[in-house]
Amino acid sequence: MAKKILEVHELTTKYITRQGEDVYSVDHVSLDIEEGKSLGIAGESGCGKSTLALSLMGYYFAPLHYTSGEIIIDGKNISGMDPDVVRKTVLGTEVAYIPQAAMNAMNPTRKVGKFIEDVIFAHELKMTKEEIREMAEQRFAKLGLPVDALDKYSVELSGGMRQRVVIAISTILSPKVLIADEPSSALDVTSQKMVIKMMKDMLNTGMVKSMIFITHELPLLYNVTDDIMVMYAGQIVERGTAHEMVFDPIHPYSRGLMRSILVPEEGTRDVKLTAIPGTPPNLKHPPAGCRFADRCRYANPSCKVITPPLLDIGGGRTYRCSLPVEQLKEVYASED
Amino acid sequence: MKNTLRNVFHSPRFLVGFIIFMVMVLTVLIYPWFVRRDPLVSLGKGFLEPGTYVSVYDANNTGTYRVELPEAAEKRLEATLPTEDRQTMIDYLKAMGVDVSGLDTSNEKMEDLLAAWNANYDEADAKKNKYEGFATQAKRNALRRIDNKIKGSNNDVAMSVVRGEGDDATVTTVEGSDYVKVNEVANSVTLPLGTDNFGRDTLTELVKATGVSLIIGLIAGTIATLLGLLVGLLAGYLGGIVDDILMFIANIFTVIPGFVLLILIYYSVGQEARGVTTCAIVIGVTSWVWTARSVRSQVISLRNRDHVNLSKLSGHSLFRIVTTDILPYIASYVVMAFILQVSSGILAEAQLSLLGLGPKTTDVPTLGLMMNWAKLFGAYTSSNAWWAYFPVILVIALTSFSLNLMNTGLDQVFNPTLRD
Amino acid sequence: MILPEAGHGRFSVERGHSTMTKGMRKYFKKKIFWFVITLIAAVILNFILPRLMPGDPVNAIVGKNISPNATQEQIQEQIAFYKHQFGLDKDLFGQFWDFIKNVFNGTFGVSYSQYPRTVADIIGGGIWWTIALQLPAILVGWLLGNLLGALAAYKRSFYDKALMPVSLFFSAIPAFGAAVILLVVFAVNLKWAPVNGAYTTGMIPSFSWNFISSVIAHYQLPFWSIVIISIGGQAVGMRSMSIYELNADYVKYARFLGIKDKKIVRYVFRNAMLPQVTGLAMSIGAMVGGALVAETIFSYPGLGMSMYNAITTSDYPVISATTLIITIMVLLASFLLDIIYAFIDPRVKAAQFD
Repeated sequence: MAKKILEVHELTTKYITRQGEDVYSVDHVSLDIEEGKSLGIAGESGCGKSTLALSLMGYYFAPLHYTSGEIIIDGKNISGMDPDVVRKTVLGTEVAYIPQAAMNAMNPTRKVGKFIEDVIFAHELKMTKEEIREMAEQRFAKLGLPVDALDKYSVELSGGMRQRVVIAISTILSPKVLIADEPSSALDVTSQKMVIKMMKDMLNTGMVKSMIFITHELPLLYNVTDDIMVMYAGQIVERGTAHEMVFDPIHPYSRGLMRSILVPEEGTRDVKLTAIPGTPPNLKHPPAGCRFADRCRYANPSCKVITPPLLDIGGGRTYRCSLPVEQLKEVYASED
Repeated sequence: MKNTLRNVFHSPRFLVGFIIFMVMVLTVLIYPWFVRRDPLVSLGKGFLEPGTYVSVYDANNTGTYRVELPEAAEKRLEATLPTEDRQTMIDYLKAMGVDVSGLDTSNEKMEDLLAAWNANYDEADAKKNKYEGFATQAKRNALRRIDNKIKGSNNDVAMSVVRGEGDDATVTTVEGSDYVKVNEVANSVTLPLGTDNFGRDTLTELVKATGVSLIIGLIAGTIATLLGLLVGLLAGYLGGIVDDILMFIANIFTVIPGFVLLILIYYSVGQEARGVTTCAIVIGVTSWVWTARSVRSQVISLRNRDHVNLSKLSGHSLFRIVTTDILPYIASYVVMAFILQVSSGILAEAQLSLLGLGPKTTDVPTLGLMMNWAKLFGAYTSSNAWWAYFPVILVIALTSFSLNLMNTGLDQVFNPTLRD
Repeated sequence: MILPEAGHGRFSVERGHSTMTKGMRKYFKKKIFWFVITLIAAVILNFILPRLMPGDPVNAIVGKNISPNATQEQIQEQIAFYKHQFGLDKDLFGQFWDFIKNVFNGTFGVSYSQYPRTVADIIGGGIWWTIALQLPAILVGWLLGNLLGALAAYKRSFYDKALMPVSLFFSAIPAFGAAVILLVVFAVNLKWAPVNGAYTTGMIPSFSWNFISSVIAHYQLPFWSIVIISIGGQAVGMRSMSIYELNADYVKYARFLGIKDKKIVRYVFRNAMLPQVTGLAMSIGAMVGGALVAETIFSYPGLGMSMYNAITTSDYPVISATTLIITIMVLLASFLLDIIYAFIDPRVKAAQFD
């Protein structure tokens, strides 16, 4: 059994609105990733996946606050650590984050090389400027990036190039966990492929020990990650291998997601397209019972009362629904 | 729209600015109903301090009431003997060799001072001994004057008022305890802000001037906003050569300081035409650039939006596209620009008038003109007539401030990132 | 495999020592072009506009200087004489030519109301006094204002909530308002500073300590009134810019990479300053205007006073000359700022792809 690089136990974090209300965007989430593996997280906008990503960093700023739960990276518990310690020893070294729309992620008035220097110095690693430069050049070369990009400003690079540079910078200290938040959503198809290839290479060569890939494009994850996890309204609703999730989803929401997307993948062309009616619940006042019940086609009255726990049905497969697996599969089969 | 309005009026900054501004506008509108006086009527010669002025002549003709105020005598003396006189008394007593250690010019020591004076001063004595510092005739006259004042303010001595001449003359006696009710006096005037150098009631003038300046600001602001809007729309939407030309013109207007242009244009317009409206128009015509730039950049970012492209494909006319697809989106910027233009219009007029380039008129005062008069007639250099210019500055600052505050409030509503 | 990226020699860093890149050169060319064109337009405007006004100044002068017994013939002679003096007997182009010539050899012709003093004589010293006063004052005001605005944006606390409206109020006080208030409070009442002029009347300009200290004393009030006015406006603008920048994506990203807040703050303010420089270039015209009015309040012998006197006496050549000089100064300042901007904003170097 491979070592678990990342373990999260019942992590709960909340936003405090300007009116002082609490919004629990990440509600008792537990997950783990083995070394060398990647996990994709999919879900609608607002389901909490980005917040989860931020929460996993261990570094919180208002209005995001840590409430409870544990985050253990390679055996080290980083939850509840002092922010300054987190900044120096966790950010960038244990876990790194690639933001959404990395286009604007870099300071427009600082050269790439200089920015990398800033990052290194911030971690108080005793390296000289020449050493940093050499390391950066090596890294870039390894990742297939031109070395002269180090002397440019981010505005001078094309969109795809910029994204890849941002990824390179985020991983320059070889973090154990790399969290990518919609890294390819804003790019053209070719650039998308390059970015994904780069990230997979990093994982395969051990530059990063594990990866979390967040997106709302479920089918994208099929070719990228080993496992896929679906989130809804701040909770995990299902998890399984990529193949299982795409072709054989259990939870009604996962199924709805898969069927609402046009995908030119083999085997999915015969699938009918449907949309999921309704909108996600307001997390200020989460509904009682199953949070998806309002929009679920298969819900019965008890679904709105009993909150289903996350069930483990073996082989790393989990799902959150009060209906048994066999029943759901039967219904699905009858619809196809 | 309703929602926006609600947000706007809930914004504290906007509200405060709006209230201040409205108070001013309402004052300008309502005040003339209460005070019917013509602002440009001269009430006196030169600067009069703020206060209530009662006609002495009429006071004498009004029925008197007997009132015994407890400290009347002291107050009388205090009023009659200013500090300089008291100092003179002390100096004289000191020169005489009298111990003045416990004496000063304060009201508390008045009694002691008077006692010392009455005990020691004698006119003949002063003439004879020629005490140091009081050897000249002039000095001794001064001392005598002071002594007479003291004697004259004695409560028991009445004043006589003579009316008419010769045999028809009538004499009325005025006692120290005779008081008139101010309201019953035929002629009195309260001047909260005194008068300016021409003798005009400053407050009334100020209210009128505020109104005129506001109008100028409004006219100038409207012209500038409309011009800016037009130029911005055309330059932004049409682009190309039109844009280049319009921006070139705009650049010229930017770099050449606005007021220089104002001076030049104003001069070429000639003597006769320098009325209020001309001033407003000239200001409007020279300050549209900022609005034009702002509108233009908004339009540029809008013109490639989908809904605009859709309209273009549907074959809508230019006019229709601009009015239905573009205008509603820039409406918020235009409103903010308008407020700014009004504010700067008022300031521009004030600056111009201060230099003597404002409306060359004796019919209407403007805020700037009042400043100009204050400057020309030495309100702050030779006389300390603070009321002639300080309220004006305050009003200008408040107007500008309230408008800018409204703008900041609006900015916060339209740009949520700026909210606190 | 190293992918070759575009390398059109955009970066002369590899080529040689020059920091000028193609992008910058393009930027400079553009700016110089605008500068020249605007200059020409300004000169033309300065020439035409005063001449459009009705009324004949020559008659006014002749009327002043003529003796009451002069015959019609003599009057005509006088008129012709003055007309010739002022070059008014030539046609419009001839006059324009004269104007240009005058501009270049710095004489600007002769004053109308203070005839026969030349315009250059009247304005001459004034230019230096104005520059000496306004340049530092506007710069200091700009710097302080930006600092204040940046501070307010960084510490978004009660401090900011109170400071913002206050600085807004201060920026709403007109230039002459501040000048008058300072004058009254400090000069007239507290008698801390002198009331007018640039130095004690009667003193002869020299490099003696006496003179210089007198100048410094007279300098204070006009200087500080201009500074106060500039601060308010800059502070408000800088605060908005800073808030905008503080919310930018790169701030969040830098944080997540572990970079300290202190360093991030440096980034932010540097970026927020850039538009402020441009803003200064744009508003320098208006600031100069306000400052000139302040000069008149203090009877400071700069361009403001010359202009004011010329206006009150309808001395057109002086007015024309002063406005031209002011325009040129502002144009130059604006142009210089644009040039400086190119050196401090790295995006300019890169912005113009060929």
